[in-house]
Parts: sequence; C-alpha cells; structure tokens
Amino acid sequence: MSTSGSGAPVSIPSNPSIASVPDVGVADYLVQSPEVRARFERIRARDVILEVRELGKTFRTNQGEVTALRGVNLQVRRREFVCVIGPSGCGKSTLIRMLAGLENHTAGEVLVDGKPVNGPGRDRGMVFQGYTLFPWLTVKQNVMFGPLATLGKSEAARAAMLWLELIGMARFADAYPNQLSGGMKQRVAIARALVNQPRILLMDEPFGALDAQTRARMQSHLLDIWRNVDITILFITHDLDEAIFLADRVLVLKANPGEVQEIIEVPVPRPRSAAQFTSAEFLATRRRLDMLIHPPAAAAATTAAEDEAVKPHLIRLTDVADNVE
Amino acid sequence: MTPRWFGVRAPLSARARLVLGIGSFALPLGLWCLVSYVPFVWHPMVRIADPGGVDYFQPDMLVDRAVFAEETGNMRRDGKALPAGEPANPVYLPAPHQVVLAFYTAFTTRPEQRDAPWLHESLLHSIRVIFLGFAISSVIGVPLGILCGTYTAISRLNEPFIEFFRYLPAPAFGALAVAILGIYDGPKIAIIVIGTLFQQVLIIANTVRKLDFSLIEAAMTLGINRLRLLTRVVIPACLPDLYRDQRILLGWAWTYLIVAELIGTSSGITWFITQQARYQHFDNVYAAIAMIGFLGLGGDVLLAWLARYLFPWDRASARA
Repeated sequence: MSTSGSGAPVSIPSNPSIASVPDVGVADYLVQSPEVRARFERIRARDVILEVRELGKTFRTNQGEVTALRGVNLQVRRREFVCVIGPSGCGKSTLIRMLAGLENHTAGEVLVDGKPVNGPGRDRGMVFQGYTLFPWLTVKQNVMFGPLATLGKSEAARAAMLWLELIGMARFADAYPNQLSGGMKQRVAIARALVNQPRILLMDEPFGALDAQTRARMQSHLLDIWRNVDITILFITHDLDEAIFLADRVLVLKANPGEVQEIIEVPVPRPRSAAQFTSAEFLATRRRLDMLIHPPAAAAATTAAEDEAVKPHLIRLTDVADNVE
Repeated sequence: MTPRWFGVRAPLSARARLVLGIGSFALPLGLWCLVSYVPFVWHPMVRIADPGGVDYFQPDMLVDRAVFAEETGNMRRDGKALPAGEPANPVYLPAPHQVVLAFYTAFTTRPEQRDAPWLHESLLHSIRVIFLGFAISSVIGVPLGILCGTYTAISRLNEPFIEFFRYLPAPAFGALAVAILGIYDGPKIAIIVIGTLFQQVLIIANTVRKLDFSLIEAAMTLGINRLRLLTRVVIPACLPDLYRDQRILLGWAWTYLIVAELIGTSSGITWFITQQARYQHFDNVYAAIAMIGFLGLGGDVLLAWLARYLFPWDRASARA
C-alpha cells in the first residue's frame, strides 16, 4: 500500500462509538499522520461490502435468556482489513459465525453487497481456527472443492493450481493434509476459501494454534495476499499486537452482554513491518486496546476476587543455601 | 536396545510385534501340547493295550483311571492276568498332531455317505450363506445408518425401534424364518441378516455422528448444497471408519453362522461338525472349528491390508 501524503494537518477524526472511558492523555492513538488520514478517507470512499445493522443474538438456556451480542453496527468497505478483538466470552466467534451464516441471528441484519445473509454461501469465505482441510483429499483437491460446484474438472484444477502457486504451496499439490505442518494447512485453507472469489474473507482466529514464529510469518504472508488480491478481510483474534499489525480498523467488543466498545482506526502507516511494533502509533494503539480489554477498575476487581479465592501460603521447601536468585 | 515392554502404550519395534504376534498363537498351542503330550499333567483315562482277564475291556478302549485301578486290583486278587494300558486324555481332547492330520485328511477323504458333500463343498456353502446374509444386511444397514447419523429426524424415526429390536436374539426367529422361507438357505440367511442388520444401523449411525462437524461447516462456507454435502463430505470423511465397522460386523456375522445353519436342514460347515461329532471324530470337529477361525481371520487380514491402498490418507488404516 503506497500512502501518498496530501499535506493535510494532523487532526482527530470524530469517532461516534467511543465509550465513556476517561481519556487521560491516551487520545494520542487518535492522532493520524496525513498519509494515514488520507488513506482512511480513500477507504471511506469505497463501496460497502459488508453491512451489519443492530445485529444481536440471544440464547435460551435453563437460567433464562442470555444475550450473547447486541446492537452491533459495522460497515466494512472493499479491500478493508478489519480485526475484531475482545475478552473471552464477548461473542466474537458468535459474531463471525453469524456473518458466515453458520448461526442465526435473533436481531438486526447482515448485508453483503446490500443483500441479506441467509445461511452460508460462497460469497463469504471462511478460515477456521481448527484445521478443517478435508483429510481424504489432496491439497489440490481441497482447493478444487469449491470450484467443482460450478466449474468443470479441468477448469477447477487450473484455478486450484493458480492459487496454490500464489500461496507457494504448488509443490505440495499432491500431498495429503496430514503430511503438512499447521502453518501450511492454514495457507491451503486460505487458498481454498479465496479460490471461490468471495466478496469477504472471514477468519476466526486462524493463527491461534500456531507457534509464535510461524504465526508472525503467516501474518506477513496474509498481508501480502491481501495487498495483491481484491479481497476484504474480517479477522478475529485475541492477540492485540496481531490486530494492530494487520488491521485498518479494530472492532473492540466487551463481554456480558457482548457489545461494541469502540471501533479504532489504526494509525500505524502501511506497508506494515515488524519494526513498527515499537513505533509511537503502535504503542499508543496498544495502550488504548489494553485499557479497553483490561480496564484498570475491572482488572483490580478481578485480581481482588482471585486473591480472595486463592491464598497461597508459601514456605521454603528448599535448602537455605540453595538459592535460585 | 531393550524394549520397554511395560511402558504405557509404548510403541514396539516391528520385530517385537512379530514375536509377540506369533507368541499369541504359540501360547495356547503350547498349553494344548502340554496337556496332550505330558502324561502326568491331566490324562484322566487309560487306553487299554491288553484287556488281561477283564472280560469287558477291549483293546483301544478308554476307561477311567479309577475303574482301571479297581479292575487291576480285582484281577490281582483273583489271580487272573492283569490288564495293561497307558494314560490317555478323553476322546473329546485329541492331540494337536491328530487335529493337524485331520485337517489334511478331512479334505482328501471321501464323505462316509455317498451323496454327502465333501468338506470343501460344505465350507463353500457356509461362505455363500455368510456372504449373502452380510450383503443383504449391508445394502439396507449402511445407507440407513449413514442417513440416521446425518439427519436427526431420520435417526429419531428409526433408532428407538432398532434399539428395541436388537435385543431380540436372532435364533429366536428361527422357527418363524423356516415357516416363511422354507427349510433350505432362506431362513439361514435371514438369521444372519437379523443378527447383523440392527447392530449395523446403530454402529454406522454412531460412526457418522462422530464426524467432526467443522468439516461440514467448512464445506457449507465453500458453497455446497445440502444433497452434495452427503456425497462429497459426510460419506468420504467417514469411509475408513465405516470400512473398519464393516470388518467388525463381518466378524459378528460369522458368529451367527453356526446357529443359522442349524435352522431347517442342517448344512454347510455346521452339518460337517455335527456329523463328525456323532461319529466321535473329534479331531475332525476341532479341525473344522479351526477352519472357521482361519477363514474369518484370513478375510479380516486381507481387508485390513486392502484398506491401506483404499484410504492412503488414513493413518489408522496405515497402522493396521
């Protein structure tokens, strides 16, 4: 992504969804460089691919009705990269599953290209956290799975090979999934979703099960794909750094009930690199996310409750001379 | 390198697996040899070599050790010739070499009645009954099981009744089957079907239900319709497990064979066994029973070996 500066003054964009969190000098995450600001303006000028209006979900349990999510509003524009984060139990998985059509919503609506979502469909590709490649098919056959529904065999094979080439897995076309590493499996899963040319790619913590190094490689790899392909991405994660590194905007959810706390425009310029993890914009955004996900008051309450429940009574069980520090 | 025999689920070397596998057969065989060839281990009978003065003893007759001792005492008291004999096992426990010999001669000996079938004909007859019974059961049971495992409504409509029916012992339908299907192969096949089918539906349905649902969800997000879901995801995903189920069920079908063949006119290997037992040819009886085991195990090993080529992606098949 090239960001051409327009020389506009540094400004704080109005953000309607800021929750009433006291901002004591942490608003610097709202400060955007002119380049970043111009980029967001360009994004806002694009078509809306995914529109979520007042989306909600309630479960009926033995304890009565439980609200998993309520009042979610979101517009994702073409080729935008949006990450969703939130504490565990905030309903982020429920949200993406409703967008994919794998679960019903009980309130509001989801529109893709203006058409309401009603069940799963090939306009929304999905990559799951668990490995969901079909074990009885080779890598190539896995990628051909979607195209075969509409195309002939040779055309589907050609499309599959093109995508395997693109993700660098062409060498493994005839391997079975159980011969691949976790990272490779997720690469193939991405290709399998993208070969259908979906309007939006939904990713549900796709790198959650990978080790740290593979994960970092997969993040850059995903950005490379996103840069070169006309695809809009909604990405769920619980890793704050991952969210900032990948996203244009970060949707922050809170738990009990699941609601949108804030939608943050990430001020870190593109193209992104690992060096930016220590940049001022990155750290400012990181501080803001930390505060939203682990608010000081709530954190203190949790710690107090935990201390109440678990009272360690430590006595020395080793020789006095045998000191580790 | 010393193998850690008692490590929990410790993997064994190919050599150790082979040795232990042979050992699993050698152990019972060794026990049988011990009882058969070492006189003082059991041998509760005496085989008469010379009747001596005992008027009802005959050469080659088997008598209880106590009776032999008593008669020997009687003869000694009466001053007659003493009987002679050697310790022996009862007629129903032939020695291994006798059974091995019977295994060979059973195939080469003309049947005692002229119109009776040869042993290999009896065996083929049994295999045909098993095959037909299992095939009929599978044609109904496998599709029904897959549907039950996939669609909850079909499962609820069928499974409660099947759960009830599977407790009814198949042989209990023997008289009914004869009344409906006659006395020849019909009722025998029916018993094998009744014995296999109901378990089959439940086992297959259970296997299909264990399919990882996320595979189905993944397929749905790739834009596949409901009907194709069954043929392109559910069935291929379950295939190696269904194949394993079928192997186990085939084993069950074999266990129903003997009961089934007693229904109506006795036939096949069962006819051979009962016939030989009537003449007290127990070596032949053992040989015939062992033959069922070899056929069953041989078939299963063959199917397991075939699975490696049918399901190259399946690790469990590769291990078998």
